[in-house]
Amino acid sequence: MGLRSCSFPRYREVDPVFRLSHQPLIPIVHACDSAGGFVTFEGKVRNHANLREVLRLEYEAYEDLAVSEGEKLVAEAVARYRLESATVVHRVGLLEVGETAVIIQTAAAHRREAFAGCEWILDQLKHRVPIWKKEYYADGDSGWVGADAPGPNPELDAQLTQRQRRLAEIGDAGQARLKAASVLLVGAGGLAAGCLPYLAAAGVGTLGLIDDDVVDVSNLHRQILFSVEDVGRLKVERAAQFVNLLNPTVEVHRHAERLTEANVDRFVASYDWIVDGSDNLPTKFLLNQACRRHSKPLVTASVHGFEGQLLTVLPDGPCLRCLFPTVPAGRCVGTCAENGILGVVPGTLGILQANEVLKGILGYGEFLSHQTQLIDLRTGDTMRLSRQMNPDCPVCGSGMDICDPCEVESISAAQARFGEYIIVDVREPDEEPHLDCAHVRLPFSGLGELPEGNLVVVCETGTRSLRVAARYLAAGRSNVVSLRGGVASLAPDEPR
Amino acid sequence: MTVRYFAVLRDRRGVGEETLSTDCESIGDFICELVVKHQLDLAPALIRAAQDGSFVDDSTPIRDGAQIVLVPPVSGG
Repeated sequence: MGLRSCSFPRYREVDPVFRLSHQPLIPIVHACDSAGGFVTFEGKVRNHANLREVLRLEYEAYEDLAVSEGEKLVAEAVARYRLESATVVHRVGLLEVGETAVIIQTAAAHRREAFAGCEWILDQLKHRVPIWKKEYYADGDSGWVGADAPGPNPELDAQLTQRQRRLAEIGDAGQARLKAASVLLVGAGGLAAGCLPYLAAAGVGTLGLIDDDVVDVSNLHRQILFSVEDVGRLKVERAAQFVNLLNPTVEVHRHAERLTEANVDRFVASYDWIVDGSDNLPTKFLLNQACRRHSKPLVTASVHGFEGQLLTVLPDGPCLRCLFPTVPAGRCVGTCAENGILGVVPGTLGILQANEVLKGILGYGEFLSHQTQLIDLRTGDTMRLSRQMNPDCPVCGSGMDICDPCEVESISAAQARFGEYIIVDVREPDEEPHLDCAHVRLPFSGLGELPEGNLVVVCETGTRSLRVAARYLAAGRSNVVSLRGGVASLAPDEPR
Repeated sequence: MTVRYFAVLRDRRGVGEETLSTDCESIGDFICELVVKHQLDLAPALIRAAQDGSFVDDSTPIRDGAQIVLVPPVSGG
């Protein structure tokens, strides 16, 4: 493709380039005035795979489809990482050790995007583009392997799990059950950092990871699957690479997307066990309900500061909503970013989640299916509190879905609920609060008694106003509600 | 009785455990009393209580000398 030049901002206009080559590959010199970072990756044929000596490789492609899929993928990388240019050339045919199998070149304004885009293309290439690899081994054997998953290696499998197979509760039969099992981890964060390595190392055959997030430097003190080099990269990609290095016999499915009502059934139905490592209540409740629908066991945990909470929901046992029938408002209990979190807490809880799954697959011990375990790592205290099915549970009983009674979604919802109401703005004077509609101003910092009547309390984001509404609801006054999302969420046609 | 606070309730109360007495008869009334008295900033409907090792519903009478654990929803992961 030769010399290129382009001017800022051009990333949307870049022509994605993907080619197959039957000839040896040579890196292309490329130039682009608006790019400051150029990355060239060369993938070469290595003399070993999975502890076996490899003599040569053969790549075969379904060429038309490979090129069209490859072009799509490169175009996606260009958009996703704001690349100024991206080129991929993949060899097909027979290659000797040391020969170049693929060259990926990316250019971006800054180096981070160029590196991240290059690596993303490589990861995606391996499982999206129809190119197959045949390994020729020194012992005369050969075999086609998935470009990503290393070939089956029963010998490595056996060596890796030797010590746990000595346990009477496991043995070869238990190990075969692990190999046949599939586990979905929702969230590739702090809990997954504890759970995922042990499930992979134990030899669970198939692990699914779903998370749309990228690594942030503030994650690293607890999400120890990642390193500073990974900042800005997709968590599922890095976590999958961690598993591949730890135990190459595990098949990893990565899903770089967010769990939603639209896709939750598809994911839950495809796995034997579901581990909730998410960091928010809506996802936890969504999973709980989907696992009920599909009769799948769910191991859920959550963490706060020095403390953690763990419970297992079996298809015939009490569920998360049996315990918490009321849907909490999104931010009423804060997040790790707001509350702070000690790194070992999600690590510990994640390992205990892995133990619950292993109990289930191997059949040892007793589940936390009728108990909730609370752990305080300040003291090491753990408590097991027993819990029962709740006949009024909105998910598995006959109860109605109850929403947090102290919030309204919008001003019109307050109108529908109350008819007449007064808006109370609790923002502070230095926030320079402004509302076009009639309201009473009572700053949060010096909040006295609220007026009588139906009240809609507002602040900038809905956090302080929710506190006010919760306090009054607790005191028995149910006509005080908070506007969810605060004035920032008011629709343009609503009074401000 | 002793009351133990978990997660965000502990943060907002400022202590992990305290010994208290109350005139409330039911667990639900007692939760409301604590939410108001200590400004726990969480709707009582969201707080679950365990009495002497078992979660109980709001209408359950309070036992003398009980150990009560208050558990809010916890979201972090």
